[in-house]
Amino acid sequence: MNSSSLAEEAPDLVCQIDNAQGMVDALTTVRWKRQQDAVVELSEHGVVLIVEETGCLQAKVYLQRELFTRYEYNGQGRPRFGISLGLFVDCLNTFSVPGQSTILEIRYPGPDMQLLLKSVDSLDACIYAEIRTRIPDTVSWDYNFEPAGSTPLTFTVKSAALKEAIDDLEWPGSSIQISLQPVPSTVTFRGEGHGDLQIDLMYYVNTDLLVAFHCDRQVSYRYKYKFLRATTSNIPSSVIKDNRGSKLTIGRGGLLKVQHLVSVARPSTSHPRIDSAGYQQPSRIAYIEFFVKPEEDEDTANG
Amino acid sequence: MKFKAFLTENGVNLLEKRFLPALDKMGKICHLYLNRDHAIFLHNLLNGDGIQSIAQFRKEALFDDYRISSQNEDRIAFTVDISLLHRALRSSVSICTEFGNGPTANRLQIRLVKKLPPNSTQPLPFLTFETKGYKSAVIQDVPISKPLSRAQVLELQTALDAAQDLPQTLVQVPDLNQLQNFVDRMRHVGDLLNVTISKYGDLHIQISTTLITLGAEFQKLLVIGEQADAPSEDRNLTAQTRSARAILRGDAQSVQVSVKHFGKSLQCHLAKPDCAFYGIAAQVVVAQFLAKSIARLLLVSIFLCFGMG
Repeated sequence: MNSSSLAEEAPDLVCQIDNAQGMVDALTTVRWKRQQDAVVELSEHGVVLIVEETGCLQAKVYLQRELFTRYEYNGQGRPRFGISLGLFVDCLNTFSVPGQSTILEIRYPGPDMQLLLKSVDSLDACIYAEIRTRIPDTVSWDYNFEPAGSTPLTFTVKSAALKEAIDDLEWPGSSIQISLQPVPSTVTFRGEGHGDLQIDLMYYVNTDLLVAFHCDRQVSYRYKYKFLRATTSNIPSSVIKDNRGSKLTIGRGGLLKVQHLVSVARPSTSHPRIDSAGYQQPSRIAYIEFFVKPEEDEDTANG
Repeated sequence: MKFKAFLTENGVNLLEKRFLPALDKMGKICHLYLNRDHAIFLHNLLNGDGIQSIAQFRKEALFDDYRISSQNEDRIAFTVDISLLHRALRSSVSICTEFGNGPTANRLQIRLVKKLPPNSTQPLPFLTFETKGYKSAVIQDVPISKPLSRAQVLELQTALDAAQDLPQTLVQVPDLNQLQNFVDRMRHVGDLLNVTISKYGDLHIQISTTLITLGAEFQKLLVIGEQADAPSEDRNLTAQTRSARAILRGDAQSVQVSVKHFGKSLQCHLAKPDCAFYGIAAQVVVAQFLAKSIARLLLVSIFLCFGMG
């Protein structure tokens, strides 16, 4: 056996993770519809998964190498492959049996360019999977996010509050205006359609809800509701429970960046190093980024 | 045609807390087949579609003062809705605990009757539960089908005899609940499950579609029946290769079943069996669940067969 495996080239990536559920949570966050093709990019820094919709919405999940208990990268020039996100998540989910910790090994590529997964912690029981990969589509639009000016236009809001606000905006309908104004420091979500609904988050009133706010001039952009909704609709319940903050930044041309943090740490019972305040090592966090393009015909709205 | 018996406290517990919840998952409607020695709940034995389940109780496991008579060698069979049966039993239990002076004071009698329901000219058959309290009696009628004909009962008995052939090799599944959890999650990925069981004590389940192969292998399980030692040269191979080699050697059998049916069979953990065995015979997976904690060994067995259906 060993001689034959020596003859083969080392795979681009062999990594192990002790919390499949955390990975499921992170990937579920960007799963806004049933059939979704994703592109996975491997590097010495970690694994990045990218999903896109009609050139208007893009999401990235960053799984840095620190999330993995083992990470051996031998690839050349960032190998990429396409995969069905739904299948990948459903498959990972079978590795995450409640009340049981499984060490999951991920390997790419297999003999037929598959993504290989298997549980490695038990001698007498083994779960395994082989997922077919595709040659990736070229990313249709490069979401080159640039700051809008010298000062970033950004605010951080509690994830649960953000989700609630966006859920509420479903009622007025298709187009949502997000406005930031420096004095008094306020973020406004406004929907007009079947009716009007305006949600004001006031930094000077409630710093519990709006955790941070940076804005030196008034800006306002409109975004399609369905894309805005995709940024929060699948946030896992663990993120809502942790209720850190989600950071929203408006870049050049009104490109909106939404960032979430998803914990990939093992449940605290098995990790005494997490203190009572729920502090987890920053290295055990997966970063999720959404980029939403503004509606184009609204340039006049910006002064 | 007469049937009358008293359900024992143990019998009520067995049915209400363990078996009826599990059998309800196998299918809403089942045959209840009573003879001189046994009460048997049967699912899908005559139409052969989907999961077949046989739960056989020795009469002593459920009843005392068991009286049955019919012109067909004291055999009676009919169909009944398990959820209705369960509901009647549950409310009888609550009446006993609420108004009774302890379990022995209230006896739960079960009887086959024909009654004329309101707005009807034809008397219909019922299974009647009668709970006698201190001052009152509560009677519940569970509607059942017309008793099966002599020919149908014979057909049922033949199917029952045929279904009880044990596979040559059975492996013990250690944690049904965990396996069920796993199979439930597998259902999102595909519909058909390959099940391989070997004489080495391996249980290997796998879903394979054009996009994904997902499987689990459990090794070194307890084997009943024909067994063999796993060849040492197979040790470092993948589960798939190991299964394929075992099949070639004639040491394993493989069958394809519906994931849904397999998942259903695992629901039998609701009956809290003491152990569960899976085997393959004549292209069906056979699962046998034994509950032996009750007074006598092997008084109760649920026996499930399911094929491609």
